[in-house]
Amino acid sequence: MADQYTNLDNMRFLLYDVHDAEELTQYERFQDYDRTSFDIMLDAVKDFSDKELFPYFEEMDANPVTYDDGKVTVHPQIKKFIDMATKNGFIGPWFDYDQGGIQLPQMMYGAVFHILDAANNNVAGYVGLTSGAANLIRTFGSKELFDTYVPKMLEGKWMGTMALTEPQAGSSLSDITTTATPQEDGTYKIKGQKIFISGGDHQFGENFVHLTLARIDGAPAGTKGISLFVVPKHRPQEDGSLTYNDVFTAGDFQKVGQKGYATTHLVYGEDDNCVGYLVGEPHKGLKYMFQMMNEARLAVGSSGIAIATAAYHASLQYAKERPQGRKIESSGKKNVEAGQTFIINHPNVRRMLLLQKAITEGGLSLLVECGKLVDKHMVVEDGKEKDDLHLLIELLTPIAKTYPSEMGKTSISTGLQVLGGYGFCMDFPLQQYYRDIRIMSIYEGTTGIQSMDLLGRKVTMKNGAALQLLMKEIQSTIQDAMTHDELKPYAEILTRKMGTTQKVLGHLMGFAMKGDFERFLMDANMFMEFASTIVIAWQWLKQAIVAKTALITGNTPYGEDFYESKVHTMKFFFKYEVPKTLALEQILMDNEVLTIQNEKEVIV
Amino acid sequence: MKLLVCVSKTPETTAKIAFTNNDSEFDTSGVQFIMNPYDEWYALVRALELKEQLGGSVTILNVGPASNDAVIRKGLAIGADDAIRVNAEPKSSLYVAKQIAAVAKEGGYDVIFLGKESIDYNGSEVSAMTAELLDMPFISYATKMDIDGSTATIEREIEGGTEVLEVDTPFVLSAAKGMAEQRIPNMRGIMMAKRKPLKVVEAVEANDLTTVATYTMPPSKTEVKMIDPENMDELVRLLHEESKVI
Repeated sequence: MADQYTNLDNMRFLLYDVHDAEELTQYERFQDYDRTSFDIMLDAVKDFSDKELFPYFEEMDANPVTYDDGKVTVHPQIKKFIDMATKNGFIGPWFDYDQGGIQLPQMMYGAVFHILDAANNNVAGYVGLTSGAANLIRTFGSKELFDTYVPKMLEGKWMGTMALTEPQAGSSLSDITTTATPQEDGTYKIKGQKIFISGGDHQFGENFVHLTLARIDGAPAGTKGISLFVVPKHRPQEDGSLTYNDVFTAGDFQKVGQKGYATTHLVYGEDDNCVGYLVGEPHKGLKYMFQMMNEARLAVGSSGIAIATAAYHASLQYAKERPQGRKIESSGKKNVEAGQTFIINHPNVRRMLLLQKAITEGGLSLLVECGKLVDKHMVVEDGKEKDDLHLLIELLTPIAKTYPSEMGKTSISTGLQVLGGYGFCMDFPLQQYYRDIRIMSIYEGTTGIQSMDLLGRKVTMKNGAALQLLMKEIQSTIQDAMTHDELKPYAEILTRKMGTTQKVLGHLMGFAMKGDFERFLMDANMFMEFASTIVIAWQWLKQAIVAKTALITGNTPYGEDFYESKVHTMKFFFKYEVPKTLALEQILMDNEVLTIQNEKEVIV
Repeated sequence: MKLLVCVSKTPETTAKIAFTNNDSEFDTSGVQFIMNPYDEWYALVRALELKEQLGGSVTILNVGPASNDAVIRKGLAIGADDAIRVNAEPKSSLYVAKQIAAVAKEGGYDVIFLGKESIDYNGSEVSAMTAELLDMPFISYATKMDIDGSTATIEREIEGGTEVLEVDTPFVLSAAKGMAEQRIPNMRGIMMAKRKPLKVVEAVEANDLTTVATYTMPPSKTEVKMIDPENMDELVRLLHEESKVI
């Protein structure tokens, strides 16, 4: 078992040096915090994770969630985690003080959950979804709903979920069939089934508050007829007692990864006695749910990077300890008399480790950036700056979800390769990380959905205003990089890639203008890969500027090696990853159409 | 009950250790610092438990520069009521003990807690020196402690068994593993800590009686040798001839 799963120095570097988390403490909302309090929090979460989460990571895989006669049983350590999160205020931490929150910046919440997820990615969702569900009630629900449910959720006694997917409706939510029949008292009778409900039931929740999408009788077809309901497993009574609300847990899905995280099948209203409470207005459920979905998408990206980060550290440790083979000497031969060298000394292994580092630290930087955008959006006055921040968050969210989950897979697969045959064995954790991360490109909207969202909606919204803002941000980084001779060539590459992006988009937009939307979105996944590689290159250039400046000034609190490694990894990303955009550009600009269905089926 | 907990700042346990100035000084560049775990996990937490049980207050004392405030803040976040920092470089064990003694004399504390040693220099000196300077009883390497009125019952691990001692307050105690369980600060405690009092006092005159000549790193670990599992004779030969363990 590896003994390291993340690097707090890297987290601090990204939070404070690259993305200036301390700037947030100037705003009234966050003025109770300072860098010292953030640091103590990060250390405390790491201490907890070292002791209570990481040692149970393999055990939760070996002893998965069980289901028996309506009862879901999860690992006992989940209770310790929920208690810790409750005590710390990590359920709904961004809520106002008077709503029971601690007004924690999203940036720091993201950092906390990065550590937790890297230590053991089976656990964070139990609390994360409760936070998200409570936030939906807080934002769109009535005061009565808030008072009835949210305090108990923040106390960790009642857990929250998001209940969208049905057996016949996964990515296409317009096809959900769960019904909501109005009752005279203003409540609704709910009937239907929901599947893949994460954290939907277990022995440590007194109650489960399912934020459920359903159709009110007679509602319009499609997404415009979907409403959002609070549907508790047990109905709270006036005297404080709970009555079973006819939400039956019909099963727990057994998965290839995240085996310690319950994934339930819920059946509502089998006995016609399931009551739901409308959140906000009828038929606006999907719009409301998207608030939670965007938070969840960033959280999924964060989990992806966290798992890949843990895998990187496991691979790195192995490469430093595993002797195998000999270095090629200047004669071109190997000296078989010499002792074996550690595999980290072989160029090919070094390339693989650098790829892991480049993906994980580049992806994490983007997530920290997004966290800060969310925080600033929360605190700045209404006006252009707020609108711009919103646009940037909208544009970057699908990328921040997809790059970590897709390239995280590549990163872990590469890490598994570093271990050779042992990577494929249960004795080492790489195989578990590889299985665990696989769901991330499916959770909360698959990569296909994210890619169509990026190209079809986010890039084009407000006449491309979000993209223009992003270009401006990247341009500003390029200007800073141009002041360092060593970074100049990379800044120039990024400048050229901005031009290429415009050329590719111009080509694709031509199809949209002609109304050929299927052709426009045909290769949206390729565009996602293209755009996200450029965005991560931008994040690496940002990191390199800070690292280079630190090396010049001698202000290197994490040690010179750390900063030199940052500059080196940036160069690696530009040499080995950025050129892949050339192939993607070629695919995107090519007019040959091979994936749109024709009259004659070619996939046989 | 007035309790004083003396804490020191030590390098984080995974920090790379190097020396500078002709190997006579510890090179702090690139090193992250933490509160000495023996001070935090055992001395401070037991003091807090006693306060919760008997009432009173817990004060943290540190000898060091302003950069130590982050470490002190952690102690406040865990639950101490206030803190005192003696604004001076902790040059030697005796120097630190003299600073602690000066503060302790003025404060009139019932118990002065320290960790059994710091994880960097491992001297186990400061607590004994402090007791001597204060002319107080001293119990070292304590693993359990309870107080009834003004009498404390303290357990120490000794070779092959346990020693139980009784001592009247005030006294100095160095805490070892077993005294308490580590407490992880929670977010609300961290936020409250920012507003707790931290008093900075100047150092008293104190001479050092020793100076560090040099530090030497331990020899680096030898390279791992992989032996074919089929070749047990070679393993036995290496253990016998090279490692000399059999």
